[in-house]
Amino acid sequence: MASHATTEHTLAPGEIAKPNTGWIWKTFGVLVAITAIEFVFVFLMHPSTLRNSIFIVLTILKAFFIVAEFMHLKHETKGLIWTILVPVALLIWLLVALITEGSFIGEVLQSMFK
Amino acid sequence: MAQSTTLQHPAASATHDAPRTGNWDGGNEPFKASYGKLMMWFFLLSDAFTFAAFLTTYGMIRHKHEVFTGEAKDFFFSTRWWPIPDHVFNAFPGMGEANVPLGFVALMTMILILSSVTMVLAVEAGHRMDKADVQKWLLWTILFGATFLCSQAWEWSHFIHGHAEPTIMADGTKFFGANLSMNQYGPVLFADLFFFITGFHGTHVFSGVCLLVWCFIATTNGTFEKRGHYEMIEKIGLYWHFVDLVWVFVFTFFYLV
Repeated sequence: MASHATTEHTLAPGEIAKPNTGWIWKTFGVLVAITAIEFVFVFLMHPSTLRNSIFIVLTILKAFFIVAEFMHLKHETKGLIWTILVPVALLIWLLVALITEGSFIGEVLQSMFK
Repeated sequence: MAQSTTLQHPAASATHDAPRTGNWDGGNEPFKASYGKLMMWFFLLSDAFTFAAFLTTYGMIRHKHEVFTGEAKDFFFSTRWWPIPDHVFNAFPGMGEANVPLGFVALMTMILILSSVTMVLAVEAGHRMDKADVQKWLLWTILFGATFLCSQAWEWSHFIHGHAEPTIMADGTKFFGANLSMNQYGPVLFADLFFFITGFHGTHVFSGVCLLVWCFIATTNGTFEKRGHYEMIEKIGLYWHFVDLVWVFVFTFFYLV
C-alpha cells in the first residue's frame, strides 16, 4: 500500500484525500493493448505453434499485470510472492507435461487403426 | 488448558481487548499481510489448482484429438477433429447469422477487465476512507459483473441451440447445437469441456457479484467506516481479480489457441 499512497499531508478530520488513480488506468491501458494485439494475431496469422506460443506469452504478460498491480502482489513481501509463485510454476509444469502426454496418446490411438 | 477463565463477553473485560503482541500468541503477521488477506491468497491458490486441473484436462484431451489440417476457409464441423474456435464462437447478439468471429467474446473480455478496474478503484477509495467513492465503484463493478453473466447466458444459449447450418448425422438426421452427449461442433468432449470450464468460471463470477452486493450493503450501512478500515473490500477485490485472471486464461486456451 505504501507505494501507491497519496502524497501525505495531514488531513483535517472528515476531509478525504484526493484520489490517486493514474496507475490504475495505466494498467488498464496495458491490458487493453495486449488484448488488442492478441486479436491482431488471431486474424492476421495462420494457426501454428508459433501463433499459440505468442498467445501464451501475451497471456502470461496480462496475468502478470493483473496479479502484480491489481492484486498488489508486487508490493507484498518476498515471502508471500514466492509462496504464490512456486506452486503456480509447478502447475505450469503439470500442464506442459500432460499436453505432451495427450499428443502422444493421440498419436498412438490414431496409428492403431492404420 | 490449565487456566480456568470464565467465558464472558469480550467487551466485559479490558484484558481480552488488549492487542496481543507476542510472536506466538497472534501478534505476529506472517508476510506482513493481515490474517484475512493471507487466507484469501491461499484460498485463491487452491482455486487456481482447480482451474489448472480443468485447463490441463482441456489441453490433454485436445491434443489427443486430430487437428484439422486444411485451409481455414474449407473448415467444416466434424467429430473427427477438434473445431476451430472462430468457427464456433462467431455470433453476436442481435446480428442473426452474421459472421463475427470472436466478436462477442472480445466484448465479454473487455467487460470483465473493466470490472476489474472499477474494483481497484473501489479498493483505492477504501484506502482513502471515501465512502461515497467506494459505493460508486462497487456499483459499477456489480453492473459489469452482472453484464458479464448475462453475456455468458446468451453465449451458452447460442451454443446449446446451435448454428443455422446443422450437422448431418450418419443416419441422415440433422443435429443442431450441443448437449453433454452430442454436439454439432466436434468431439463430444469439446462441448462438455466448454460447459464445465466456462460454467465453473461463471459460478465464480456469480459468487463474486453476490459478495460485492453484500459489500455494497455493508458500505452503505457504514459497517466498514465504524470498523476503521475497508479491508473487506480489498479481500473481495482479490477474489474478483482472480476471477478476471482465470478468464484471461480461459479466453486464451478456449477461444484463441
